[in-house]
Amino acid sequence: MSYGAADFLPVSGQRDVHGISRPSLSYLQDAWLRLKANRRALASLYLVLGLLFFTIAGPWIWRVDSAVQDLDQISQPPGVDRAALIVPDYQSWDGAGEAGPLHVVGDATSQSVRLKWDALPGANGHRVYRNIFPVGPELAYGMPLAEFFDNTILYHEDRLDLRPGRYFYSVVALGEDGAVTANYESLTVDVRRVTTLAEAVDRGLIENEDQLAVGDSIELQLHPLGTDYLGRDMLARLMAGARVSLFIGIVAPALFVLFGVVFGAAAGFVGGRVDQFMMRFADFVVALPFLLFMILFKIAFGIGPGESGVMPMLVAMVVLLWPATARLVRGQILQLREAAYVQASQLLGARTNYLVLRHMLPNTLGVVLVTLTFEIPKAIFVEAFLSFIGMGVAPPTPSWGSMSNEGIATMLTTPHELIFPALFISITVLAFNLLGDGLRDALDARMRNAG
Amino acid sequence: MNAQPSRTNFSALRQLALYVVFGLAAVVWLLGLAANSTGSAVTGGAIDAENDAITIALRTEPPQLDYGRATDSSSLTVLFHTMEGLLTYDDEMALIPGVAERWEIREDGATFWLREDARWSNGEPVTAHDFVFAWRRVQDPATASAYAFIMYPVKNAEAINRGDLPRETLGVRAVGDRILEVEFEQPTPYFDKLVAFVTFYPINEAFFESTGGRFGADADMLLYNGPYLMTEWVHSASMRWERNPDYWGDHKGFIDTINVGYITQDVNSRLNLFKDGQIADTQLVPQMLGEAMERRWQIDRSMDGTVFFLQLNFRDGHVTANKNFRKALLLAQDPVEFVYKALKEPSYMPAVSLFPYWIRGAEDYFRQEHPPIPHEYNVAKAREHLELARRELGLEEFPPIHLLADDSPLGSISAEYFQAVYARNLGLEMRIDKQIFKQRLAKMDAGEFDIVVSGWGPDYDDALTFGDLFSSWNLNNRGRYTSPEMDALVRIAQSELDPVRRMEAFAQIQDLVQEDVVIVPMYERGWSFVVDPRLKGFKRRAVGPEVDYTYAWIDEQAAD
Repeated sequence: MSYGAADFLPVSGQRDVHGISRPSLSYLQDAWLRLKANRRALASLYLVLGLLFFTIAGPWIWRVDSAVQDLDQISQPPGVDRAALIVPDYQSWDGAGEAGPLHVVGDATSQSVRLKWDALPGANGHRVYRNIFPVGPELAYGMPLAEFFDNTILYHEDRLDLRPGRYFYSVVALGEDGAVTANYESLTVDVRRVTTLAEAVDRGLIENEDQLAVGDSIELQLHPLGTDYLGRDMLARLMAGARVSLFIGIVAPALFVLFGVVFGAAAGFVGGRVDQFMMRFADFVVALPFLLFMILFKIAFGIGPGESGVMPMLVAMVVLLWPATARLVRGQILQLREAAYVQASQLLGARTNYLVLRHMLPNTLGVVLVTLTFEIPKAIFVEAFLSFIGMGVAPPTPSWGSMSNEGIATMLTTPHELIFPALFISITVLAFNLLGDGLRDALDARMRNAG
Repeated sequence: MNAQPSRTNFSALRQLALYVVFGLAAVVWLLGLAANSTGSAVTGGAIDAENDAITIALRTEPPQLDYGRATDSSSLTVLFHTMEGLLTYDDEMALIPGVAERWEIREDGATFWLREDARWSNGEPVTAHDFVFAWRRVQDPATASAYAFIMYPVKNAEAINRGDLPRETLGVRAVGDRILEVEFEQPTPYFDKLVAFVTFYPINEAFFESTGGRFGADADMLLYNGPYLMTEWVHSASMRWERNPDYWGDHKGFIDTINVGYITQDVNSRLNLFKDGQIADTQLVPQMLGEAMERRWQIDRSMDGTVFFLQLNFRDGHVTANKNFRKALLLAQDPVEFVYKALKEPSYMPAVSLFPYWIRGAEDYFRQEHPPIPHEYNVAKAREHLELARRELGLEEFPPIHLLADDSPLGSISAEYFQAVYARNLGLEMRIDKQIFKQRLAKMDAGEFDIVVSGWGPDYDDALTFGDLFSSWNLNNRGRYTSPEMDALVRIAQSELDPVRRMEAFAQIQDLVQEDVVIVPMYERGWSFVVDPRLKGFKRRAVGPEVDYTYAWIDEQAAD
């Protein structure tokens, strides 16, 4: 057998046996593909992006001050008719007007309803009631507005929270002992929504008083999501609240996850006694009570009354919440350190820096990202909770948590004050959780190409 | 991966659903058990005509019922039903004889003649010695009674309380068992109204010694002499008051048993208890009124007696010490808008004066005899005063104003409302400092505020309970307002015997408070409430106990 030189040439190139039919994908590209396939996670991602847009760009589009009180529209649910008639400025009233049975003097407006009546037969004084239902046979007169223990005053001006609509006023005679009797007179009154020129200028509806005249009609300020118990715009407050909630929700986890990664990686990589010491320190931090430290930080920061407690909250979270991440990352690093490819790399002479940056950190990235997305909703919850119990933001700055707290009082009558902030908290937390779920699946190397 | 569930999967799902259903059923059953066991503690519901009993709820539990040291409204309510002082109130809030059957008030002192048939619940008679013992104890510095000052008209009281004199020197003595002689420090024409207050109630000395320092801590740590006996007190849960068979009169205490079945701050849970027919009456807050009207309840109202105001700090270093600044604060807000639009409470009245409208004058209501200057809401004028203040103080810009308030819902609304009003009308920045009630009082004492949202309720039925609030020696003058003019007027109001001249002094106090802007009046508090239609004669009071069942009776015929 003889061999020619040609037989000793290197094998030429690759033969096209196992062709790669699809483009080569990096780890993150692959993860992205799988995330895209997960509809739930993708929807959550859009939700999160939408929330960020709502928070950052929202206040530029909806330019309403979240602290301004529109006292004409207190606790207004969304989508109410806002047309108002312009009337002259309010003048006080001394009961002038024609005598006669219960009647309204002047117009019945949301500014005031002026009632005047003749003394009822045998009355030792009167009580004035207002109802949103007719009196009926039960003699349920409604809510008492005023009472007079003699017959010298036979008029009453109602200015209590008048809203456009129908009211049933009653004047009830008081008996000798001052008790309410069945002797009453009733009147149905339709109230119109009005405003004055001065108020219209004050609320920024018109530039100056010459633009409109008494008798004209005007639309009151628009509040797309209604107003709260002091007439503040819910949409503007939700946006301002989102700033606080998302700031805490994103910055705090970002910081403590970063710290946790560095701490855990160092402990896991160095190992031995140092590792033992560092992890026992982490255990110690876990044992510290969060709420107590939150209060201590607030005092240590010299946060005076009426100042925002957001910074101490941030510090408390960073200082106290990192051990979970640190433990997770340490576990990963310990595992990786013993992996065959790391040992091979070490045998080939790779330096520590290279090992950590090239092999270890990228392989823990998945875990870290997933932790981060799960920590964000937790942090938002913590912020909401702390603001709910009054440890967070200072009024008038809103936060979703403090808004929920305020909304609880009026839960039954004007539920929108509680529902909107609660809804925002729920949606945000859900979105981040689903996104985290999707990311975990997408970044899990073992599931690579499984989908 | 949306894998089609296979047959086996499907049955697994079914099994799971079954578990869930069973689990839920178990939870519901357990909850039902729990609800039953708590429900059975209270029997009979709101009105039990058969046993002549009613069930009510208290807002808070009395910390203790030692009346020498009691300060809170719950204690006052319980004590009003179970105790009686020298004098007491009838159902129209007029003074009537209590343990004393007649009395005489002179310039230098007073004499009370005690009735023969007033008895303690252990059968012993209530004697003048019991009053002497109780009053000396209140002034003893060791008792540390917060209401010791109310007894200062009695000779040497203040000196004893300071520890300068022994307690035996107090100007009160018993002449036999049935005559009580009181010596005054200075003329005190309103002394009869004072002795109806709990701090003046008697204590049986022998019984007091037998309690070993636990006086008033439990139902059996008190002797009762009022229309009701407290027979049971389960702390933070319930109380039981039963009609006192030994009570001397038959003009009050008609219902046999009053069960305090619930003690809860939460207005919503009290409303639910009322709806369920578990309690006889409850308070309504504005957001409940709509439902109350829908349910066709007969809503009642009453004045609570308390006036709420922004109290301003006169100490050095506070911008509120400047008169023009205070004027600006007063002019730039409108209590009418605050009460009618922000608070929306039909029983509240916008306040104008330190004195509430129900205070009695010489003959008529005080405010009808001496009407206060009406409030002026004038932003332009307010800004002028603010500018003057800025120049007087030599400031470029005003520092943030420290606004102290309660953490109650009402305290928060008030603080946030005024924060926005002063920001809008005066461009001032207010920092809200929300504190729990006790902490707010502590901060007020220490002067750590510029403006504080506070209120003042009457201790006795006389204009002086409001009138002496801003004298320089009154510790409740927490803004430390001092003016020789005010002090002189208060001294006249305290000791003037002619009612007309005395009321004129009060009128001048009213004007001075407005002129110097010691306070920015907010509202006079009231209550909107509902009562079970079968319960008659129930009262909510401005002075004394918050709720009064001593004149109430059950009318079975009244259908609901």
